[in-house]
Amino acid sequence: MLILKQWRLWVSLLLLIGSYLFIKPNFEKQTQDNKINFGLDIQGGYSYLLELNEEEYLNNLLVKTSQYIENTYSINSNINNGQIVIFKNQNLDALSNIVIQNLGLEVLEKSDTENSYIFSKQSFNKSLSDMTLNAVEIVRSRVDFLGNKELSIQKVGLNKILLEIPGDLDNNVKEVISKTAKLTLHIEKSNIVGSKTFTNEETGEQVRVQEIPNITGDFIQDASLQYNQNEPVVAFSFNKEGSDLFAKMTSENVGSRFAIVLDGSLITAPVIRESITGGSGQISGGFTNETANNLAIILKSGSLPTKIKIIQEKQIGPTLGQEGVEKGVIASVIALIAITLFMILYYKISGFFTVITIVSCLSLLFAMMSLLNTTLTLPGVIGIVLTIGMCVDANVLIFERIRENFKNNIDDPKNHGFNSAYVTILDSNLTTLFAAVFLFAFGFGPIRGFSISLIIGIISSLIVTYIILKLFLNITSIKYLGLQK
Amino acid sequence: MINFYSFKNISYLVSLMLIILTVFVIFFKGLNLGIDFKGGLNFEVKTNLTTSQLNQYLNFVDTEREVLIKREVGSDVYSIRIESGDNNPVFIEEIKNIIAQNSNIQILLSEYIEPTFSEELIKNSIYALASSLLVIAAYVWIRFDWQFAASGIFALLHDVFVAIGFMSLFNIEFNLTMIAALLLIAGYSINDTIVLFDRLRTLTSSEENKDNFEINVNKSIKLNLRRTILTSFTTILALLCLVFLAPVNLTEMPIVFIFGVLIGTFSSLFLVLGIVGDLNYEAVLKARDS
Repeated sequence: MLILKQWRLWVSLLLLIGSYLFIKPNFEKQTQDNKINFGLDIQGGYSYLLELNEEEYLNNLLVKTSQYIENTYSINSNINNGQIVIFKNQNLDALSNIVIQNLGLEVLEKSDTENSYIFSKQSFNKSLSDMTLNAVEIVRSRVDFLGNKELSIQKVGLNKILLEIPGDLDNNVKEVISKTAKLTLHIEKSNIVGSKTFTNEETGEQVRVQEIPNITGDFIQDASLQYNQNEPVVAFSFNKEGSDLFAKMTSENVGSRFAIVLDGSLITAPVIRESITGGSGQISGGFTNETANNLAIILKSGSLPTKIKIIQEKQIGPTLGQEGVEKGVIASVIALIAITLFMILYYKISGFFTVITIVSCLSLLFAMMSLLNTTLTLPGVIGIVLTIGMCVDANVLIFERIRENFKNNIDDPKNHGFNSAYVTILDSNLTTLFAAVFLFAFGFGPIRGFSISLIIGIISSLIVTYIILKLFLNITSIKYLGLQK
Repeated sequence: MINFYSFKNISYLVSLMLIILTVFVIFFKGLNLGIDFKGGLNFEVKTNLTTSQLNQYLNFVDTEREVLIKREVGSDVYSIRIESGDNNPVFIEEIKNIIAQNSNIQILLSEYIEPTFSEELIKNSIYALASSLLVIAAYVWIRFDWQFAASGIFALLHDVFVAIGFMSLFNIEFNLTMIAALLLIAGYSINDTIVLFDRLRTLTSSEENKDNFEINVNKSIKLNLRRTILTSFTTILALLCLVFLAPVNLTEMPIVFIFGVLIGTFSSLFLVLGIVGDLNYEAVLKARDS
């Protein structure tokens, strides 16, 4: 049997079985991994792109680093215009270059009395990126607590977070993701120095308190919505360290008021009646069920490192996507049938091989997309349709070359034709492939969806043309190919 | 047999006119930038109201912002674009409520982009496009002589640029999806060109009449003509299906791409090999022989 000696036969079978196995999980309900996900433009849903404030983060980092230097090395420092200025004294030797480097700083200027440093771009970006990863987890837990199951959340760029929620939206999502949720507790203080007045934005109540917080929300371990005489309140409990601080603050200040401040505005300012040692408390202040629950969720999840801004929001109704998919599928099928008919009419048997090649190309493409957990978007569907175009083009190039060789009486017209055409195909497809890779690397949103299906499509097309189409050409006598004219 | 090479001067003229026309259109008409690149709000709504009724209804919104209403071709779907302004977050919620209140209007899609972010997207898209084009240039340069690379890149930029002019002329919204379409046009253009280059290179290095550049050019085109026509035909066939069946907000991409296929076919048939010839490739070949 000649056909059994064709290595392409075995590789083809392997490809088909592999494709089948990788596509299969898409039709199983329970599995999560190795499936093609549908983009929001197809299934409908909400997406938010959040941006953390880079400037605020830089300032926080400068303050933290400068304090660290002061405390550890007893060297006076100052923050000026994004730089840390260190005043020289006898301790400066301890602050070796290695320490400076480990802090991510680099020398900007040195003079007789002071050195100024800035963060190196690399270390700052790394730090910014780490902060964003941390924030991703906080946002994730906030949205999780609201009970959204199938959301996707990922870091984009250095300081952005993309949150995508398929299906219907809980109205509270926007509310809980956009709050920084910096909770601070301050003891009332009457003299001006070191104090600050906070205002309740709704009631206008004002209270003058010590500016530096006694306790921050970082110590909160748990928070929940509870009811106190039928009024919704937020109950919270501190961890061990927080409990100790809270006990100390309350026992030392019985009779005075303390302010509970969230993101710079006063929520409530209760009077301390007795020392609280259990490490738990309640915040009440005209909450509704929803606002109390939202506050509990953000306290439980922790505060975000900086202010957050929604820089893109998108809401796609389910009808548009469904209509899109239905139409897209119909379009692809009609395009496929039209091309198929045309190829068979024009190239006879060879045209039929093209059809097999296209179908294999599509199954390999979907197999790879499933394996890589790719998200399929509408521009991605357009990319796939164009991949079919490139696959047909490859077939046409090969057939035409074989036909030409046949006409010119060249030896072994099939193999020569295939090989010379395949070089051309490689050249032309690889250029598009490289371009698509760069498009994917730099692009955003629809561009990425489009380029990923183009990348996978070109690779599949190159593989199936080389293996499966060639197999059929090999095993068919040239007389029957329909390429003699 | 058609002497394609003899058309090259006319082709240069046509191409020059297209470029000038594009410059004019872009200069006087500008690009219809979508919110991806301009920031602001965009709604796709389904409604049985007419454009003027919709316009009137939206006049309730007390705003200084520019509001653009456009009916999507052949459907009862309208796109409403509102420019960005002060206090966007509050405004978005307000306008959403106003639109949602009218039972005759169904919101299919709403999107908001902060202007600072759209600036970033512009930068991003330029990087993406420029780097992809550079990679294409580098690849062609490595695989072929520089005359080919220069001519291929010219054709590609020509096609992309004229396609931008086409978008401007017909007021097609320029957004992120269109960046993908432009790159696709670039890919298609270079694809077509490389197939011809491969052929010309083979012919000039092995055939008996390799000295006659003009004959070889015509021969390369002629041998590939059937493929060029077949491929353009099948691609346009597939794209036409998309035009009629893609969701309303995506019909413009295949239209632009069909134009790209046509202009790409023109430039590869009539432009690229002429340029290779005029870059004195014949002399290079002769020098190689001796």
